[in-house]
Amino acid sequence: MSTHTFAEHVGEVEIVLEAESETDLLREALAAFCELLGACGDGEPASHAVELLPGTPAELLWGWLDELMYLAEVEDFVPERATVIDFAQGGLRAIVRGVHGHPRHLVKAVTLHDLAAAVEGGTWHGRVVLDV
Amino acid sequence: MRVPARVFADEVLLAAIARDRSLVQLQNVATLPGIVEAALGMPDMHQGYGFPVGGVAATDATDGVVSPGGVGYDINCGVRLLALPLAAAELGGRVEALVHEISRAIPAGAGKEGGLRPGAAAFDRLLAFGPRVLVDELGIGTEDDLERTESRGCLDGADPAAVSERARTRGARQVGTIGSGNHFIELQRVDRIIDAAAAACFGLAQGQATVLIHSGSRGLGHQVCTDYVHTMLAVAPRYAIVLPDLELACAPLGSSEGRAYLAAMAAAANLAWANRQAMTHLIRRSVERVLGAEAAAGTRQVYDVAHNIAKLERHGGRLVCVHRKGATRAFAGDSVEIPPAYRGVGQPVFIPGSMGTSSYVLAAEPGAMERSFGSTCHGAGRALSRTAARRRIGGAELRRQLAAQGIVVRCPSNSGLAEEAPFAYKDVDRLVAVVERAGLARRVARLRPLGVVKG
Repeated sequence: MSTHTFAEHVGEVEIVLEAESETDLLREALAAFCELLGACGDGEPASHAVELLPGTPAELLWGWLDELMYLAEVEDFVPERATVIDFAQGGLRAIVRGVHGHPRHLVKAVTLHDLAAAVEGGTWHGRVVLDV
Repeated sequence: MRVPARVFADEVLLAAIARDRSLVQLQNVATLPGIVEAALGMPDMHQGYGFPVGGVAATDATDGVVSPGGVGYDINCGVRLLALPLAAAELGGRVEALVHEISRAIPAGAGKEGGLRPGAAAFDRLLAFGPRVLVDELGIGTEDDLERTESRGCLDGADPAAVSERARTRGARQVGTIGSGNHFIELQRVDRIIDAAAAACFGLAQGQATVLIHSGSRGLGHQVCTDYVHTMLAVAPRYAIVLPDLELACAPLGSSEGRAYLAAMAAAANLAWANRQAMTHLIRRSVERVLGAEAAAGTRQVYDVAHNIAKLERHGGRLVCVHRKGATRAFAGDSVEIPPAYRGVGQPVFIPGSMGTSSYVLAAEPGAMERSFGSTCHGAGRALSRTAARRRIGGAELRRQLAAQGIVVRCPSNSGLAEEAPFAYKDVDRLVAVVERAGLARRVARLRPLGVVKG
């Protein structure tokens, strides 16, 4: 089972993730990001491809959320789910489906502060702080 | 630590500071190569990324580093104060109409498109030269506006080519927009004059209507910071830089990476000043629609200050790069950086409180030049997390409470409004008292909100 929680912080938003796989970790990160955007997608369905260069799991988690943030801000894209997530050759290829809308775009940057993504005891744990 | 860490605070503020990791972050700042004298924490200091918010650090221009984390993601987030040529009492029943008109004229909320849609070449000129472009090419603003803007709204050395395409794409649609989070436009009245001579010099009178703008470089600035944090992390081994915190990523000022960051940061800073200038224009138009052409023509800029920026300045006879992250420049006396009309009084400093509480206008004191590289704090600073604020009050109830105080609110999101509740911020009266006791700046006037537009 995958979970995400928002840790208490003054000034920023920290997402704490748990999942059974790295794929699920990214799906959970997407769900957390959607929760931050709020209910704001009422337009045409859309999908976007996300491709990230090879990196560590933490770097991929960072890149994943950075791309979702960029698509929300620039394309008014409200993600709903990732239909494909493929860790090809250490990188990432994914298809994200959602709608165009009016995202409440609280997230301005994905920081490196306390960034973490790793497997421990069979469970994937992730942590990322978003500048809002 | 290469230098001490020094905090300006009283016991209550220090106790609040000690509750998060900002003191540890300040100690980390004190390890930066080339840092001089001390890593400084302002009274509103709280945990940030790398640098604490409310942190000031100066690095030697010859052998020191520059750190994007010492500026912050929202490059040149800052505050601009406008003074209307009438008393707040003369607004009468038009307060709500004026606040409403401003909220219609100026898009709020991150990612929203703005009122100005510059083409690529014009956008590059904004990055290179800031609001001067708006004044000269579009008649948006006046020479007086530029005169009363820190650095006249333009940092030398800005290079649009140092700004990534991703940053440009984020920023191109956002000129003339407030942004979200704690950004706002607030209609106010001068509630109390404390330093009559300075207030008169700044053009502020008891009961006068004013407008305070808090906004920055939007998505472009955030992307510049992100880009260069990653660039500098990649080259850190080349310069034998060991980082206690990734967000303290830095490079020697004289390196190609350091110079590129300064050029991109300057471009982002110039865009932020242009953004606030565009909003000033839209506010004047709103004033014209509600109050008439004479009121609009008489709406004058008091000053515009940056509170997330790095600047090469001379202090104690040494050229240093002063990083101000959530800290305001405060130049006293006869500095040539201050508009001629304000020399002798000191540079205006603005310390916003929160919705429902006071904001302050101050004048820089010589103590700032002696103790804090000409710097002071920038605002009340958060005391509660966004989640905690939302748990304590709903947006609808907060609107009712503010309305009961006579404060008009325009904010598209109830949850966003709740996150910015007054109790979520530190006591601005206490902060300002500490600033004054430390000799960094003295109070000139207190401003009370009449209406607020939030993103």
